[in-house]
Amino acid sequence: MRKHLLLLLLAVGLAQSGLAQTTFPRNGVYDERPNLYAFTNATIVVDPKTTLQNATLLIRNGRVEAVGNTVSVPAGAVVMNLQGKRIYPSLIDLDSDYGMPDLPPRRGGGLFNTPPQLESNKKGPYYWNQAIQPEADAGLLFKVINPKAEELRKLGFGAVLTHAHDGIARGNGTLVTLADDRENTVVLRNGLSQHFSFSKGSSGQNNPNSIMGVVALLRQAMYDADWYKKNGPAEQANLSLEALNRAANLPAFFEAGDKFGVLRADKIGDEFGRQFIIRGGGDEYQRIDEIKATGATLILPVSYPQAYDVEDAWDADNVSLAEMKHWEMAPANPGMLAQAGIPFALTSSGLKTRTDFMANVRKAIENGLTEAQALEALTTRPAQLIRADDLLGTLAVGKLANFIVTSGNLFAADNVIYENWIRGKQYILANRAIADLRGTYDLNITPQAGTSNLKLLITGNNPDKPDFGVTANDTIKLTPKVAIDNNLVSMQVALDKKQPNALTRLTGYRNGSTLQGDGQLPNGQTVTWSATLSKPFSASATKADTTKKSTMGGLLYPFVGMGNAKKPQPQTLLIRNATVWTNEKDGIMTTTDVLVSNGKIAQVGKNLTAPTGASVIDGTGKHLTNGIIDEHSHIALFSINEGSQSSTAEVRMSDAINPDDVNIYRQLAGGVTSSQLLHGSANAIGGQSALVKLKWGEPADGLLIKGADGFIKFALGENVKQANWGDANRVRFPQTRMGVEQVYMDHFVRAKEYAKAWNAYNAQSNTPKARGKNATATLTAPRRDLELDALAEILAKKRFITCHSYVQSEINMLMHVADSLGFKVNTFTHILEGYKVADKMAKHGAGGSTFSDWWAYKMEVKDAIPYNAALMAREGVTVSINSDDAEMARRLNQEAAKTVEYGGIAEEDAWKMVTLNPAKLLHLDSHMGSIRPGKDADLVLWNNHPLSIYARPDYTIIDGAIYYSQTGDEQNRVAMQAERARLIQKMIQAKAGGQTTTRPTARRQRMWHCEDIEGVMAEGENK
Amino acid sequence: MKHILIVLLCLSLTSAWAQNPAPAGPQQKAIALLGGTIHTGTGQVITNGYITFDKGVITGVGEASAMNRNTGDVQVIDVTGRHVYPGLISPASLVGLQEIASVRATVDSREVGVLNPNVRSLIAYDSDSDVIPTIRNNGILITQAMPIGGTVSGSSSIMHTDGWNWQDAVLRKDDGIWLNWPGYYARDFDMETFQSVVKKNDKRDEAIRAVQLVFAEAKAYAEGTTPATTNLKFESMRGLFTGKQNLYVRADYAKDIIEAVRFAKAAGVPNVVIVGAEDVDKVTGFLKENSVPVILSPLHRLPNREDEPVDLPYRLPGILQKAGVMVGLSYSEEWWRTRNLPFLAGTAVGFGVSDREEALKMVTANTAKILGIDGQVGTLERGKQATLVVSKGDILDMRTNVIEQAFIQGRQLNLDDKHKRLYNKFKTKYGK
Repeated sequence: MRKHLLLLLLAVGLAQSGLAQTTFPRNGVYDERPNLYAFTNATIVVDPKTTLQNATLLIRNGRVEAVGNTVSVPAGAVVMNLQGKRIYPSLIDLDSDYGMPDLPPRRGGGLFNTPPQLESNKKGPYYWNQAIQPEADAGLLFKVINPKAEELRKLGFGAVLTHAHDGIARGNGTLVTLADDRENTVVLRNGLSQHFSFSKGSSGQNNPNSIMGVVALLRQAMYDADWYKKNGPAEQANLSLEALNRAANLPAFFEAGDKFGVLRADKIGDEFGRQFIIRGGGDEYQRIDEIKATGATLILPVSYPQAYDVEDAWDADNVSLAEMKHWEMAPANPGMLAQAGIPFALTSSGLKTRTDFMANVRKAIENGLTEAQALEALTTRPAQLIRADDLLGTLAVGKLANFIVTSGNLFAADNVIYENWIRGKQYILANRAIADLRGTYDLNITPQAGTSNLKLLITGNNPDKPDFGVTANDTIKLTPKVAIDNNLVSMQVALDKKQPNALTRLTGYRNGSTLQGDGQLPNGQTVTWSATLSKPFSASATKADTTKKSTMGGLLYPFVGMGNAKKPQPQTLLIRNATVWTNEKDGIMTTTDVLVSNGKIAQVGKNLTAPTGASVIDGTGKHLTNGIIDEHSHIALFSINEGSQSSTAEVRMSDAINPDDVNIYRQLAGGVTSSQLLHGSANAIGGQSALVKLKWGEPADGLLIKGADGFIKFALGENVKQANWGDANRVRFPQTRMGVEQVYMDHFVRAKEYAKAWNAYNAQSNTPKARGKNATATLTAPRRDLELDALAEILAKKRFITCHSYVQSEINMLMHVADSLGFKVNTFTHILEGYKVADKMAKHGAGGSTFSDWWAYKMEVKDAIPYNAALMAREGVTVSINSDDAEMARRLNQEAAKTVEYGGIAEEDAWKMVTLNPAKLLHLDSHMGSIRPGKDADLVLWNNHPLSIYARPDYTIIDGAIYYSQTGDEQNRVAMQAERARLIQKMIQAKAGGQTTTRPTARRQRMWHCEDIEGVMAEGENK
Repeated sequence: MKHILIVLLCLSLTSAWAQNPAPAGPQQKAIALLGGTIHTGTGQVITNGYITFDKGVITGVGEASAMNRNTGDVQVIDVTGRHVYPGLISPASLVGLQEIASVRATVDSREVGVLNPNVRSLIAYDSDSDVIPTIRNNGILITQAMPIGGTVSGSSSIMHTDGWNWQDAVLRKDDGIWLNWPGYYARDFDMETFQSVVKKNDKRDEAIRAVQLVFAEAKAYAEGTTPATTNLKFESMRGLFTGKQNLYVRADYAKDIIEAVRFAKAAGVPNVVIVGAEDVDKVTGFLKENSVPVILSPLHRLPNREDEPVDLPYRLPGILQKAGVMVGLSYSEEWWRTRNLPFLAGTAVGFGVSDREEALKMVTANTAKILGIDGQVGTLERGKQATLVVSKGDILDMRTNVIEQAFIQGRQLNLDDKHKRLYNKFKTKYGK
């Protein structure tokens, strides 16, 4: 090691910079050199498709001057004979923070009981939000840090695109080499890329504190940039928006984190007509079709999870099948994407130990990636992506002389990178001149030192760092200490095993294939010695067995234990002889058949005939109902609250959908088929709902109910005024119910004005005639405001409110505000004191979606009663029973049944409270919520009366496809057990084979309720 | 039923009070419930039966035809078409100890400190809690008020859901000590992902050694002569070593369950009950061998692991029943949901418990046995206390769990509660 360091230091000290620095004064005498080198007799990989044997590479002044088999070496060139060696273009990493300052720690922002930070702490004419910093200029921030550059050079990298990994808009990137030179020659091109992410980085500002808030903020910033381009500067100077606009045509990179992020990032790009280059997370193979459809080029890490310690059968239960499968399949990610034709570059970022990089690329190659694809992903593709393929990526004439010299195939396990040349400057990583001494030698020491028939064994994968051994009489194994340096040999060995401290010391030199010299025995007697090669080293003997391809499990949709091997498909189904709860005039029909085809209910009647190809399900003794619709759900979401401001109408829950949440499946097992995924209740005006069907296996977009009306969450009461958030949270307006009213008044007044401005603008631009007549009055477009857009939609009756509410005073307040400003509250949810104001609700036209029997968990629910649903229903309010709870949602049939117990609601009406009524409240009743020909075939077959405590679904069907069946569930359990067992065996073997493993820890998914905020612990989560 | 409603309606109209009803006075006169279906809690169902009780004690149960009608002044109540059950027992409960979750001033369940065996839930039991009448209305007549803090939380007591004060309401004082077993896995919180992480507890051995030492010292203290210095903590633990008190150990993970039981036996504690037991399906054989009963976490919870069968929590009672392990159901921490306890038993029937009467035992007879009150309550048998309810129908099903009459030690309860009062008040608003 020390030897190498020394060499390196020498190289740096003696060699001058490869490039002239004409603008700099010099301390000393000019030392300009020709910088002309010829590398001869090499195997040259010019680009991933072109390899030249026995070729010459000629470089001058840091550029490739010639490459080929017939290059004539000009006089004055330093010639390096690379017989038996290879030259590759050096590698390029596009996701680097090399040379960037360390991120400041994140502070404040309401984290851990600190006061909220509502405004940006960054002083200057910048964007209002600290996480939007497109003005960050990597070129200005960049500093050469040689130890970090060296780390990358050793892996074969020659240039990186670096940027500050801080914030959602992160500014531009700069392309730098990894040379240890003055920044002026290291920076190749500045400002050639633009960078984004979903992480707010060091910003301590509260907003955004959710993934949907991040998306909304970035979208708004992009709309603002557009507005600024047209009319902004007249109003304000904003360097952030200027920077966004300046970079609009540059390649834009988006750090998306994982497969969900890739899809989410691409969607943002689509909105603005931009195609992001997306840094993925290594799990993209799990959603390959959807990711291919984005058309995005990806940047992929080669970081893979470690195997788990699974020897203990009980402890192993804490490792999920998804984790085990990902361990197995992650190395196949690049190969599978390449196979699917998805273009990508590879990055060394994201590795816990960066030195694992090449070994992990090799794992990808062992798992399906071809070497040409790997090389492409590390050279030509990254160069093209940043439009720097005139400089980098291949060894074509005119490009930078950025290349590496290797002992052989770059991707082979025993490859050694000897040298990394950057802009024509040599960095020695290993001594390529060193002789390969590996082999078996007869070791003779004269006079004989008591032990006879000594053999010296020099072995190992790396001829640079061989392993040494000495055997005596072929049986006794001794471990000598050997140093070979510049053909000098020094060896110490205890020849008598019983006396390990009695060292015989031999010193000498290499003479062809013989080592010889003299030395001393432990007793000081002088001896002479020689080691003569008797058998050359054979690499194949120790080569790792890479030919054995292990079998790999299949994909699951979604990629969790309960996932489907194949996505469920709509079928033609005939359910026979069931008791059918139609929710229509026919009421509950006994011994009735229901035919399903093309995802719809085709027929309801007696003795229907099964069409050919139909699957018949015997419903004798069973009850067929509509699927349950949960009006208030927070499952399948990555985040619930963007609680950073009193209004966050701009956020969309559709940006936060987690289609892999096992609670989807659990709720299918409870007969739920659709849910309104609501924003939480942390602020007066929350985010836009996502209305979904629980189509387990589909991606997020596949869950959304097409054509559904837009909904939005409002909230009243303790959460909105942060009553239970601790003493630190006494800053945000409002802190009282008085303030809540003003939040609504203020926002809706502004929304009205906003809508008016747009209407005026649209009216004008839609009638060119009018514009012609009065050309001077041309209006410019108002600033697009995503928050006010949503509120204006409410005023225009295009978006509908679901309002979290408890206490009668505030319920009346909101209805009053709504009436006075001309909008309606579609639904009050929770509405635990709805029974006190049911008459007013009925008059206003608001529905009520309530808990069956919750109360006493906080002050504002002290008057909640289980008779609430009954009282509201009797006053003419459309009532539904909802969950707001991942567990309770799977028993909503039981919750509905409680309205029979409390208040004596008729069973048929009780059932509607979890089916037809929520469909009405969500404006879905035209095609959902009852069993009638033409409606969606969202059905549940229960083994018992559906309101009975003893009932459970045998089948849950959505759009005619069976998403859950009791028998299927049981089969899945068996299959899952087998797959787990296979992977556990494989992990145990991997551990035995020397792989590092990690202790199992069970990640318990956070179960969201509507008051939960990221960064704030839910009850019971602090140990 | 109608009459009661009218009476209640009148009460709510005429009186301005918004207080829970007065506790019932002692049983004045013998009562016979005649003609209903009697679920005795022993597995027996008498479809047309009778039950008589006097001075708070059951004097006879049987077929209606077999009732002795010549025993003097008996108030006969016709319960034809109705169902009679033992009063349900809610173990491991916070009812009476907490009122409104988010209001700290109303929460008296978690004392500070690690070792508090001397802390008694008994005296904190608020017999005037608004929650109590609401649970009674679904058939729960007995609750076990348990402390939950620290490692040794304190002692529980078994309370009636009716009484002027805690002295009045108590059925069994200081029935057991509660121990939170130091877990093999500890729940931690990952600040980066905001996920709860369950990982190996590195401080566990230390914690267990501390518990072992305390129990060893307490035992020595209990066995020794009168100590020079009175130690209130050890005084409170005396009953553990004589079998007078149960040791309730909260443990969920299979390894913890085994170790907790082994610990209790080694510590010389004869009666140990495992509470929680969410992974109990792995150790049913062990529990059976050691005759250790289980009070399960509320069944209405999600599986703990992504890959666990979706209905595993619902199936645990059936699994334990089949294995021959004594099991009781609880509504532990969510006290205001305690009124749903009968529906946990109903759920268990849908998921593997052999029949409704077996499930009923899990909220009556079994629980009484586990808590050591089976001499007094838990079944409808001659000589036991007349603590029972009359339901419109199947008590385990929401649709028919409508409690029409309830008796604690023969005292007929006023079944009014805050929810009914508000219901009736607002019915009048709407003129109905």
